[in-house]
Amino acid sequence: MATGAIEVNGAGIRFRRNRRSRRNFKDLFAGRQRRTLASEFWALRDISFTVQPGEAIGVVGRNGQGKSTLLKLVAGVILADEGAVEVHGGVAPLIEITGGFVDDLTVRDNVYLTAGLHGMKKHEIAERFDEIIDFAEIGDFLDTPYKHLSSGMKVRIAFSVVSRLEEPIILVDEVLAVGDKAFKEKCYRRIEELLAGGRTLFFVSHNEKDLRRFCKRGLYLDKGQLVLDASITQVLSKYNKDYGLTP
Amino acid sequence: MSNSALERPAWSPAARYRHVLWLLTRRDLRVRYSTSALGYFWSILDPLVMAAIYWFVFTQIFNRSVEGEDPYIVFMLLALLPWTWFNGAVSDSTRAFTRGAKLIRSTKIPRTIWVASIVCSKGVEFVASLPVLAVFAIATGAQLQWQSVYFVLAIVVQFILTLGVGMIVAPLVVFFRDLERAVKLVLRFLFYASPIIYGVSAYAKVGPEFHFVAAFNPLSGIFSLYRGAFFPDQLDWFTIAVGIVMSALIFALGLYVFKRSERAVLKEI
Repeated sequence: MATGAIEVNGAGIRFRRNRRSRRNFKDLFAGRQRRTLASEFWALRDISFTVQPGEAIGVVGRNGQGKSTLLKLVAGVILADEGAVEVHGGVAPLIEITGGFVDDLTVRDNVYLTAGLHGMKKHEIAERFDEIIDFAEIGDFLDTPYKHLSSGMKVRIAFSVVSRLEEPIILVDEVLAVGDKAFKEKCYRRIEELLAGGRTLFFVSHNEKDLRRFCKRGLYLDKGQLVLDASITQVLSKYNKDYGLTP
Repeated sequence: MSNSALERPAWSPAARYRHVLWLLTRRDLRVRYSTSALGYFWSILDPLVMAAIYWFVFTQIFNRSVEGEDPYIVFMLLALLPWTWFNGAVSDSTRAFTRGAKLIRSTKIPRTIWVASIVCSKGVEFVASLPVLAVFAIATGAQLQWQSVYFVLAIVVQFILTLGVGMIVAPLVVFFRDLERAVKLVLRFLFYASPIIYGVSAYAKVGPEFHFVAAFNPLSGIFSLYRGAFFPDQLDWFTIAVGIVMSALIFALGLYVFKRSERAVLKEI
């Protein structure tokens, strides 16, 4: 198979510097070819890379260098202003994982709703339902409205659902910073399990230990540019050198 | 690579769209009904109170008696119930993106679904409110005509129109907050500017030019179609034809606006 799981080709996206600046209909409807205004900046530009199926890739960079933006482009929740982002296969986005959950519905309804929104069929959810609930350790609260769960439980059930989507590509943002230590470790083991099952992982993190644990390859983003695309060890050492941190 | 999970049969885009649309529509309805004790009752209460007020004002106080518009309560409900659908869906679609923001930021779902699910859930409520009409029709002895088959056509046209308006309003509100209030104002204006408390024939009485201009309000044609079910005189085919064309045009415009502004909307929320 020649095509990669994720193919990004010369992708770029620009944002407005000042969100409050005045808008007009012209720039709202302007297509991709419009010239860049002085009030805009390119959050990412000329990004090109290919992720092969089964590869685990980590994105490294300081705050505000476009890591999360890149992840969102891959997830398809924002659209590139230039270039192309192609994703071959379904995506399980572990980004804002609690987003699909509705406060007023019960945990059970929420599981069916969120898994369904991500493209799972009803019988597939039913087959995995017990597994999902067990993983989240939430068995006693099946018929409790979601809003009455503790924040830890909310994250647990959300992670549990999204990580059971059985999609070939997993996107992970720094969501796992939440939850207690034991559950965090459980999540990581789950991700390793998925990786062992041949999934493609696209991982954004500040945590060097986590990056080394999951990823073989790294992307180093700085000022909206892809500075280095190499093994994770090389990428991390360049990153540390640039920003004066000794490992 | 051999992993059974990775070779899950994929959805066709259309099937996926329908599935997600169905889930979100059901979610909206469930939330609405599970959080209030009266549930279903609320979706019929609003048009009922309105109908009661207008019935009282026009038949009891002003002693209105127009040939062919009797019983007035049935005449009114025939337009008021679909109006409630239109009104509810359009005013809710001003919040379509803000309401679903978290999900839109994290899940790749065709974005038009956010408007479509609002139109659908309000549409379901509209259909669920039809028994009210039946009750009044039976109580007043109004005769159902064969023209009631046009009811289905009216629902289809209204669906297309409402979706079109929603797709124009939803993305624009993200950029121009003031539009939310402007929409409310326009809706109130439209309530009186559309044949709801009066019939389409009222336009012709004012003058032929007026009748011509009023036809360009697609709601005129749609309500005229609904009313055919009990009042065949209310079928005004010129107005209906213009209404259908206008609805299609507004839908096309909506699709265009939505697609062109989608990129900018996603950056904003």
